[in-house]
Amino acid sequence: MRGEAAIEVVGLTRRFGSFTAVDGVTFDVERGEIFGYLGANGAGKSTTIRMLIGLLAPSSGTAVVAGHDVAADPEGVKSSIGYMSQKFSLYLDLPVSENLRFFGGAYGLWGRELEMRADEVLELTGLAAHRRTITGTLPGGIRQRLALGSAVLHRPSIVFLDEPTAGVDPVARRGFWRLIRDLARGGTTVFVTTHYLDEAEYCRRIGLMVDGRLVALDTPSALKRTWVPDRVLVVRGKALPGAAAAFREQPGVRAVEPFGAGLHVRVDPARWDRSGVEAALARGGAENLSVDETEPSLEDVFLAVVGRTGAEEAPGKELVR
Amino acid sequence: MSPSPLKRFGVRVGAMAWKEVLHIRRDPRTIILALIMPVVLLLIFGYGVSFDLDRIPLGVSDQDHSEASRRLSLAFTTSKEFAPAGGEDADRADTAFRRRRARAILVIPQGYAKELARGEIGRAELLVDGADPVTANQILTKADAIALAETQRVASAAGVDARPLLQVKVWTRYNPEARSAVFMVPGLAAYLMAIGSVLLTALTIAGEWERGSMEQLFASPVGRLEIVLGKLLPYLGLGLVQLLLVVVVGATVFDVPIRGSPLLVLFAGILFLIGMLGQGLFISVVAKNQLVATQAGALSSLLPSMLLSGMLVPIDNMPLPLRLLSLVVPARYLVDSLRQVLLKGNGLEGIWPDLVAMAIFAAAIVGIATARFKRRIA
Repeated sequence: MRGEAAIEVVGLTRRFGSFTAVDGVTFDVERGEIFGYLGANGAGKSTTIRMLIGLLAPSSGTAVVAGHDVAADPEGVKSSIGYMSQKFSLYLDLPVSENLRFFGGAYGLWGRELEMRADEVLELTGLAAHRRTITGTLPGGIRQRLALGSAVLHRPSIVFLDEPTAGVDPVARRGFWRLIRDLARGGTTVFVTTHYLDEAEYCRRIGLMVDGRLVALDTPSALKRTWVPDRVLVVRGKALPGAAAAFREQPGVRAVEPFGAGLHVRVDPARWDRSGVEAALARGGAENLSVDETEPSLEDVFLAVVGRTGAEEAPGKELVR
Repeated sequence: MSPSPLKRFGVRVGAMAWKEVLHIRRDPRTIILALIMPVVLLLIFGYGVSFDLDRIPLGVSDQDHSEASRRLSLAFTTSKEFAPAGGEDADRADTAFRRRRARAILVIPQGYAKELARGEIGRAELLVDGADPVTANQILTKADAIALAETQRVASAAGVDARPLLQVKVWTRYNPEARSAVFMVPGLAAYLMAIGSVLLTALTIAGEWERGSMEQLFASPVGRLEIVLGKLLPYLGLGLVQLLLVVVVGATVFDVPIRGSPLLVLFAGILFLIGMLGQGLFISVVAKNQLVATQAGALSSLLPSMLLSGMLVPIDNMPLPLRLLSLVVPARYLVDSLRQVLLKGNGLEGIWPDLVAMAIFAAAIVGIATARFKRRIA
């Protein structure tokens, strides 16, 4: 896999004075992969991105992005990647087409090539009708699509997106992710940070950052299996609260929580299966029961990871593949 | 397929500069500040806040009651600068000044005509209200000119070669009517170009920091020099348009002469502008936010270019510390070279020290600013 990877990071560390923002992070990102980088605010996501795009010099460790070492050749990195920053992405006082023209020019595109690429991007982002619209008057979701479009105008092999959907409504977020998947299908590697856990499901692999350390890295379903080994069940029915109180006391029952009108139940899979839970609740007086097995959410994973790493010293290391 | 580095450089600078032009076009404040304000200020300075005397009330105390004394008082009251305020008692001048009946009183003592007739110097006094020193100065200057003309008239009438009573100040040589517009245009050009360039560049670059777009630019292959050039070129153009406006309006409305080479004016203007743009760049690199950049930009351009440039106060009249300080104010060199070229028709041989001084300032400030302007957050 070495040499094949789009991004290779070994022991990447960044200190600000006595504070270590990113602490010995090691991972690879494969070509054409959507790689999600998750963590709370201040966990070190943006600092990692800024080192990977050649904006910030690492204190130690190495990172090779698109074949260029970020410490030795930041300019080489800059011309082969696209970047959509968290704070700014477009000039709001300019029309859509002028934003594209500017970002194209910044990457050395001009003339016919620039026009062709701008048209392609307008097509890709569904903004062909908004060519002359002043960017600031577009809704946030459309603006983010345009920002992504201008970040890939010069056909970078890797695009870095720092919290691209912050403050964007759920429908627009879905549209935005469709665009990201289209890009990845076309062979572009996507490195994206987010703190929307539902979005992380779209990523092929996810890295979880806690306090500057990468504590877990795997596909979403593998993370769920490893970090939340319980069986998770969704229970609906009548007279649930009474039945739940008795059920909670049984051995092997890890959690019983209200979930909408029903219950969310987590049990030890060695002791309980779906029908066992149903029978136990029926004995407790519940009626009209429906019990369905479900996957744990990434939120469950996140809470488990943060809970575990908060309690012990870096137990997640061995989980990093 | 891959274009040459020089072409890439050109494309990037062009993209930066074009974007800046669009920003300027979108923002009416910039246009007003850069193009309307100079004309308005020039008109205000030319007409309104004119230092020229215009119908200053002049009291006359004629104690000689002779033909000669009447001719002298007539010479004053018929000039367009003075208006007759009626007879005044010289001993009660204070009251006249306090009540603002007159700003100056011409006193012609008894025996004036006899002195002249004897071929002696005819003595008359002018009492001037000194409360406003600028006006007082102008009254004196104008009075000198009128007295000189009257002396020559009397002398030629008498057929004698009269020695001039009073000396005419040297600076009126190039502005014989002492019109302030002529004197003000070079100063005003420096002043407006300084404010426009420093303020606008400081604002636009600080704006990129504030918006976060600077980081986006740093993450792209656009280099430091490309950002600086792309940002500064449009404002260099704008500054030159300002210069052109001020000179053309000055020439057409106020008859300010253009005696020297317009190319030399342009060249001096470019050197000056580069320095001012560099100053704006430096401020924005240090301040990184628009509020601070506005204040620092306005203060560092407006005050020195107005007070230390020789625009209002001659540099030779300043106390030594200010005179030394004015040495690092590029506006003084521009004001001097514009006056030399426009009013006197001097060429390169007269203004090269000014050009060298402006070039040194420009190179130093652009160098310092670019050095402090780091693309990588270390």
